[in-house]
Formats: sequence, structure tokens, C-alpha cells
Amino acid sequence: MENKQEQEVIISVEHVGMQFRMSNDRISSIKEMVTQMLRGKLKYNEFWALKDVSFQVHRGEVVGIIGRNGAGKSTILKIISGILKPTCGTVKRGGNIVPMLELGSGFDYDLTGRENIFLNGAILGYSKEFLMGKYDEILAFSELGEFIEMPIRNYSSGMLMRLAFSIATVVNPEILIVDEILAVGDENFQRKSRARMMELMSGGTTVLFVSHNMDQIREMCNRVVWLESGVVHLEGETAKVCDAYRI
Amino acid sequence: MNKHKYNLQKIVWAVCAGYLVYGAIFSLIAWEAIRQSRIASIYSVLFLAVGGVIAGYGAKLVHYEKRGKTCWGLSLIHTASKYEFLIEQLVSRDFKVKYKRSILGVFWSFLNPLMMMVVQYVVFANFFFRGSDMKHYAIYLLAGIVMFNGFNDCTTQAMRAITSNATLITKVYVPKYIYPITKVMSASLNVILSLVPLILVTVVYGLFNNLYLKPSILLLPIVLVMFLFFIMGIAFIVSSLMVFFHDIEFLWGVLTTMWMYATPIIYPVSMLQTGSRLGNIALAVVNINPLTHYVNFVRDILINGCSPALSEYGICFAWAAVSMLAGIAVFRKTQDKFVLYI
Repeated sequence: MENKQEQEVIISVEHVGMQFRMSNDRISSIKEMVTQMLRGKLKYNEFWALKDVSFQVHRGEVVGIIGRNGAGKSTILKIISGILKPTCGTVKRGGNIVPMLELGSGFDYDLTGRENIFLNGAILGYSKEFLMGKYDEILAFSELGEFIEMPIRNYSSGMLMRLAFSIATVVNPEILIVDEILAVGDENFQRKSRARMMELMSGGTTVLFVSHNMDQIREMCNRVVWLESGVVHLEGETAKVCDAYRI
Repeated sequence: MNKHKYNLQKIVWAVCAGYLVYGAIFSLIAWEAIRQSRIASIYSVLFLAVGGVIAGYGAKLVHYEKRGKTCWGLSLIHTASKYEFLIEQLVSRDFKVKYKRSILGVFWSFLNPLMMMVVQYVVFANFFFRGSDMKHYAIYLLAGIVMFNGFNDCTTQAMRAITSNATLITKVYVPKYIYPITKVMSASLNVILSLVPLILVTVVYGLFNNLYLKPSILLLPIVLVMFLFFIMGIAFIVSSLMVFFHDIEFLWGVLTTMWMYATPIIYPVSMLQTGSRLGNIALAVVNINPLTHYVNFVRDILINGCSPALSEYGICFAWAAVSMLAGIAVFRKTQDKFVLYI
């Protein structure tokens, strides 16, 4: 039974391709477009960020994605999270996804910390009851104390990151998507946040994460996908792929 | 996470009961208009038939839910309950942020239209249409202003719904139609709040000029809902155009000004009936203009104290439907490209 559950495919990426069109200049007004068209300059440079990428992630696995800058790592994460729609191919997801691509992107700086917990939580897809129940936990983890009733435009950047991290990691999602492991705040909070990330990753959650830190990848991952200029260069056992990548 | 937060049977019962009760109220108030329309003889049959269709569809939904099948209506209810909390949060954010740093706060929602009404009334009623023999010109003017300002505010704010949430759209997956919808909802809350001073002014004005609110005011929700859908459709179009062409922002200002003059807000329609060629063209434009029909609907309710002709309901509904369909079509076609352009 245990074994069978592990075999269940939770994310299936099938022949995904993503094409970006780069016009010479990004055209953002009608006048510009008309003049460009008249001059016959409306040409696009086609650019495939991903080409025929396929891989599968099983339930409970921790899969690392490695590759050099511009290899398409963030693009594939965005496609899996549903933010970008692939030009071709499909992605099948079997559970709720919490993307941690950038913390605190839904913050409104005129609202208080408390109001932002609910706003940001709603954006991440948490329910009202869940947030009500977890509110104290979030507040305690963020160490914000009475500052929580202050508009967050008065927060320091460390306070903002602590709040954002606490909201994002309070949930136990089925699939967690992480772009670089986040360690924020002072040394104490960094240790705490790293511990929380590790706890999430080892707690049966399926994790997909991008990192340039090979030590972290070796430590955490069951499997690694190596992307190289938009194609899967190598996929398999952590040690094997990491060794190959080093060279 | 939370799959069945809603109780479908309750929703279906509430909708059916709502239809019966409000339908009965509507039939009573609009009886005169119904009697004069062409469908007078079949009205009762029609009323029951629509009720039957609603109840039948509700039964189908309940049946489908039990069998685990999905259909259009079910997925709509499901999405609505799933994103209810997010919509609530986004609307309350817009509302809170708007008045966060002002001393009078939400009170501005009443005060602002009230002061605008006073200014416009003084200017237009005293200087431009002083000799006008129109009855209750003050209310005529104010109803027009409130409705048009509502349209203007909603569309202008909804226009930036996608572009101003760019950071969110590129970072988290949320259905993108949520953003224009919440913007229209928060802006229309203000429209509803500005109706309070309009009604207050009507009551106070009426005390001195023999104009009394009649039960016809209960028809206001009907026109407001249709108006809201009309605005929503436009909001979908302008918010998606805004992503690709920022020029829309400036064009829209000009366009709404033109639209304002094409709507009988400050002038009576009778002014156009001069018989000249230009007058006829203007009259045609005003008649085809959807806003004319929404504005006049409200005026009929407030000033004449009766329901407008049934055909007006048809026109208002048709424009709302056309606008929504066009809006959804444009938005669906373009939404996948938003991420690439914002």
C-alpha cells in the first residue's frame, strides 16, 4: 500500500513547449504599433524557452530542478503553477499547489499586518476558517507582536519578509513549489525558517524546487531534473545527475 | 481543500423563493406596464414557465451533484464558493484603501455625490435650463448624474484591474477574471452608497414640490443588476485592452465624455425633437445609447413613480447580455497573453 501510494503520479509534464515572442521593442501603444507596421518592422524573434519537456513527479517526492541561468527553470515552475500557459503540451496536476515563487507579492502596503494576513492568505487559496484557526500561529511565527496592527508600509524589509514567510508556510500543501530555498531575516529567524522549510519538505509534501546550491539539492532531493537551454538534459538519481552537472 | 462549503439545495430553494416573492412584487408594481404590453395575455403563463425552468434547472443541479457529474451551473456555483473569500478580501481591500487616510472615511461615499449634485444642480438648473418647463428637473438631473458617474467610476477603475495587479498575476495563479469583477464590485458599492443621498434628496425635494416616492422604488434592484452586468462586460473589454494598449487609458477619458453628451443627463430628450436633420441624427444616437435606457429607467421609477414600459426591460436586459457576451469573448481570447505583456 505504502509503495503503491509512492508510485502515484501527482504532476505530469507532457511534451511542454513554451515559445516567447520577442518583438524588437515591446509595443504598448496603438500609435507605435501602426507606425511599426507601416514601416514593416513588426517582426518577432521567436524564442523557445522550453522545448518538449516531459517528466513526472510522484506523490511525496522531492524533485530538484537544476540548470544554468536561462535554462528555463523558472518558466517550468510557472507553467506547473498555472501562471503561464504553455504553447504546446499539457501539465496534469493531482493536488492543490502552493507556489512560493516570490514572497509577499500580494501585499497591500496601506493595510495593517493583520489585514494583509487575510488578503495574502486568500490569494494563496487558503479558506477563511483555516486562516482564522491559524492566525495565532502565523503571528507567533512572524515574531511581529503588536506591530501586526500597523500598516505594513511602516515595516522594515525584514519584518515584511518574516510576515510573508509565515503566511506562505503555515499551510501543508499537497504540492509545494519553491524557487530557491528561502532564508530570511536575522540569523535566528533564518534558522527557524530553514527548519520550517525542511519540516514541510520532509512531511510527506510533494516538493518541486529550484536551487543553485548543490549541497542543498544533494541533501534534499530524491530525484533531479537537469534543464539545459530549454530541454531536459538529464533526469534521474540525485547523485548521478549532480555528479554529471558538476563537470 | 474545502469542496462542499455550500449547500446546493438551500441555494436552489432560496433562488426559487426569491423568484416567487420578488416576481409577485414586480407583477403588482408593474401591473399597468404589463397590461399595456403585447404579452399581457400570456404574462401569467410566462411567469409560471420561467419559474418552472428555474426550478427544473435547480432540480437538475441537485441531481447532478448527487451523481457526481458536473455541468455549467454547478461549476459556476463551485467556483463562486471557492473564490468567495478571495473576492471578499479584494473588495474590502479596495474599499479600505480608498478611504484609509482620509478623516471622514467612508462618509465620503455619501458626501461626495451629494456635493457634486449640489454643484451641478446650481450650474445647470439655474443657468442653462432656467426656463425649462420640465417637471422636477432637479431630480431628473441628479438621477442622470449619479448613474453616469457610477458607470464612469466603475469602468475607469476596472480598466486598471489587470495592470495594477501585475505582480500578482505573474506570481500566483488566480483566475484572472477575478480582478475586473472585484474592481467593478468595489466601485459599484460606491454607486449603491451614492444612491442613498439621491433618494434622500428626492424625499426632501419632494416634500416641497409634491413628489413622493412610490412603491416603484422597489424596482430599483432590477435596473441596477442589469446596469451592473452592462458595466461588467465593458470592464472586461477595457481591462484586457489596457494590457496591450496603454493608450486606452487616455482614449477612454475622451470616449466617456463623448458618451456623456450622447446621454440625456443634463438636457431633456425633448430638446432634440426639433425636426431638423441634425436633431434627428442626435435623437437616433441617444435612442440607441444603452445608458439612455438605464438612466431613464431610474427616472421613471423616481419621478413618474411607475414602472417603465416592458420593452424597456427588454432593451436594458439585451444591452447587458450583449455587453457581457462581448466582454467574456474578448477576455477569454486575450487572458492567456496577459502574463507576457504586463
